[in-house]
Amino acid sequence: MTARERAERRAAIGFVAPAVVTLAALTAGPALWVFWLSLRQRVPVFGIDHFAGIAHYAFLATDPRFWSAFRVTAVFTVASVALELLLGLGLALALRGQRVGRRAALALLLLAWALPGVVTARLFEWLYHPAAGLVNVALGVALNWLGDPALALPALVLADVWRTMPFVALFCYARLLTIPAAVYEAAAVDGAGRAATFRFVTLPLLAPVLLVTLLFRTLDALRAFDLMFVLTGGGPAGLTETLTVYAYRSLFQTLRLGFGSAIGVIVFVLVMAVAAAYLSVLRRREAAA
Amino acid sequence: MRAILLAAAVVLLAGCGGPPRADAPVTVVFKHARMFGDDPVPRLVAAFERRHPGVRVKTEALGSSSDEQHQFFVINLEGSAAARGPGFDVMMLDVIWVPEFARAGWLLDLTPSLAPGELDAHFPAAAEAARWNGRVWALPWNFNVGVLYYRADLLARHGLGPPRSDAELARAVQRIRAAERDPKLEGFVWQGKQYEGLTCNALEALWASGTALLGPDGEVLPDTTRAAHALARLRGWITDGISPPWVSAADEELTRRAFGDGRAIFLRNWFYAMDLFDAPGAPVRGKVGIAALPGRGAAGPSPGSTGGSLLGVSRTTRHPAAAVALARFLASEEAQRVLAGGSVLPTRMALYHDPALVAKRPHMPRFHDLALAARPRPVTPAYLMLSTSLQPELSAVVVGVKTPERAVADARRQLAYALQGLR
Repeated sequence: MTARERAERRAAIGFVAPAVVTLAALTAGPALWVFWLSLRQRVPVFGIDHFAGIAHYAFLATDPRFWSAFRVTAVFTVASVALELLLGLGLALALRGQRVGRRAALALLLLAWALPGVVTARLFEWLYHPAAGLVNVALGVALNWLGDPALALPALVLADVWRTMPFVALFCYARLLTIPAAVYEAAAVDGAGRAATFRFVTLPLLAPVLLVTLLFRTLDALRAFDLMFVLTGGGPAGLTETLTVYAYRSLFQTLRLGFGSAIGVIVFVLVMAVAAAYLSVLRRREAAA
Repeated sequence: MRAILLAAAVVLLAGCGGPPRADAPVTVVFKHARMFGDDPVPRLVAAFERRHPGVRVKTEALGSSSDEQHQFFVINLEGSAAARGPGFDVMMLDVIWVPEFARAGWLLDLTPSLAPGELDAHFPAAAEAARWNGRVWALPWNFNVGVLYYRADLLARHGLGPPRSDAELARAVQRIRAAERDPKLEGFVWQGKQYEGLTCNALEALWASGTALLGPDGEVLPDTTRAAHALARLRGWITDGISPPWVSAADEELTRRAFGDGRAIFLRNWFYAMDLFDAPGAPVRGKVGIAALPGRGAAGPSPGSTGGSLLGVSRTTRHPAAAVALARFLASEEAQRVLAGGSVLPTRMALYHDPALVAKRPHMPRFHDLALAARPRPVTPAYLMLSTSLQPELSAVVVGVKTPERAVADARRQLAYALQGLR
C-alpha cells in the first residue's frame, strides 16, 4: 500500500464514520437495549426491576398464546404476500397491455396504497359490517366476517391484499416498461408463443424486482399490526393476534417491559433471519449472472 | 404610592429566582377527553377561573380511544423526570386505571385534602373505584353502568314483563320472534368482540353465577366450576339462537345501532345509550325500557359493571393546591349538574332526582336504582393485565373454539405468570 493509498483509506474512514456512528446510535444501540430489557423482569407500575435471565423466553416457549401468535403471523405473511405477488404481477401485465386510461388506472392504484393503514382498517370495518356491510350485501350472504374463527384471518388477509397489491403492481409495471421491445421481437422471431414468452423472457427479467418486492412485503407482513389492532383487536379467540400485537399489549397496555421486549426480540430475530435468507438468494443470483 | 413601589419591589424580587409566590398567577393544565356534543368543560373551567383569580386553567384534549389515552398517560407519567413533571396537573382517568396509577406513584394522595365523608354523596361503586389501599386517589366524575335495554312495546304486545332471569329472557325472545315472524329482528345483543367490553359482559356473567374474577385473596377465577358455568352461558346465548352469531365481533356501538334501528329485542349496554334511543327521530323513541341484567336461575336480577371516569392529580404537579381545587370543583355537585345537562351521567346520587335534570332526562330516577346495585370491575393495579390476558380466552368460549373449562384453566395459567410477584 502506498502512502497515498493509506491517506485515502484514512480519509475514507473519516467519511464513513458519521454514518456508522449514526446507525449504531439509532439502530444497534436500541436493539441491544431491548435485548438487555428482555433479560429483566421490569414492571414500572409495581416498582419491579430485577434480572430474570431467560425466564421470559422459557415461558414463551410453552405459552400457547405466543405459539398462536406465531402461527397467525406466519399464515398471514405467507397468504398475503403470495396473493399480493400473484395479483400484483397480473395487474402489472394487464396495465402494460392496456391502451386507454392507463394514467387513471395508475392513479386509482396509488390511492389504495396511499391510504393510511388505520383508514383502510376503518373502511373494511364498514365493508365487513354483519348487517349493512357491502361485502355481505354484494355477495348476498350473512357472514360474520370478523367474528367467525374461520373467516377473521382471511378477512384481514383480503384487506391487506387490497391495500398493498398496488405496491407490487407498480414495482413490476415499472420494470416491465424498461424491457426493450427488441427482446420480445426476437422471441417472436424464434416462434415463442405467449406462454413461452412470459416464462422465458418476461419472468426472468422481472425476477430481481420480484425478489426485492417479496423481501419488502415479507418484512412488512411479519410486522403486521394496524389492521388486526383496529379491526379485530386480535380476536376472535386470539386467532388474529400477531406477534407485534402481543408485544404491544405486553409493552404498552400492561407495561411489562421485560416480557414485551422478549417478544420484540423474537420478532427482530425472525425478521433478520428472513431478510438474510432473501439477501443470500439475491447475492447468489447476482454472482451467477 | 409607597404601596405600589413596595409591590413593584416585591414583584422584582420574586422574579430573582425565589420560589413562586402564592398569589402569582399559576397555570394548571387539565388533560381530558372531549365530551360528546356540546362540550361543557370550557364553561366549567371559566367558572372556576372566575372564582380563583390567581389561577389559569389550560385544557388539553386526549386521544379518542381509551387505549390511546392510557398509552399517553403511561408514557408521559413514567417517562417524565420527577423534577419537571409530566406537563399536566389534573387528568381524566378511566375508572379502571386509578389503582394502577396510584400503585405506580403517579397520583397525588387526595385523602388529606378531602372533608370526611366527601365521597359519600357518590354512588358506592363509583367511590369504591376511587379508593385503593385505604386512600383516595381520584374524585368520581362521571358514571356508566351496564344494564338491560328492552323493547317495551314488543314485550307489552306479547303480554310479557322485563325478564328477571336468563331463562325468562330466552323464553321472551323465542315467543316474540315466533309471533313477529320478522327475520331481521334479533333476540339479545351484547358485546362479544375480543376487547374490554367483553370483559365487562363476562364479569356480569360471573356475578350472575355467584362468583367473581378475583377471590378475596386475589386468586384468579377462584371457583372454576361456577366460572365455567358463567362462560358457558355466553356461548349458550349464541348456540341457543337467542343471540345472533355476529355478537362475537360486536362492540357497544354495533349493538347499540342494531337495537336503535329496531333490529333487536334486548340489548346489554351502558347508560349512555338511553339518550340516543330517546332522541327526536330515533326509530325506537318511546319504545325502550331499562331493567337490571337478568340473573341466573332464581337468584333474581344481577348487578351491572361500572364504567366512567375520575379526576386525578399528578403527584409531581407544581401547583398541588390549585390542581386539587380544580379537581374538587369539577367533581362538585354544581359542576356535575352542568355536565348532566349534556350527555354525561353524574356520580352524585342526589342529581338523579334533581327536578330540572329529570325533566330533561326522565330515565334518571330509574338509573339511580340500577346504579346503586352496580359493582366496579376488580379494583386492582393489575387490572389491565388481568383483562387483556383474559380477553382471548373469553372470546375463545364465545366463538366455541374452547370449552369453558379449558378457557378457565388457560386463563389461570396465563395470569399466574403475569401476576407473579405483583401483589
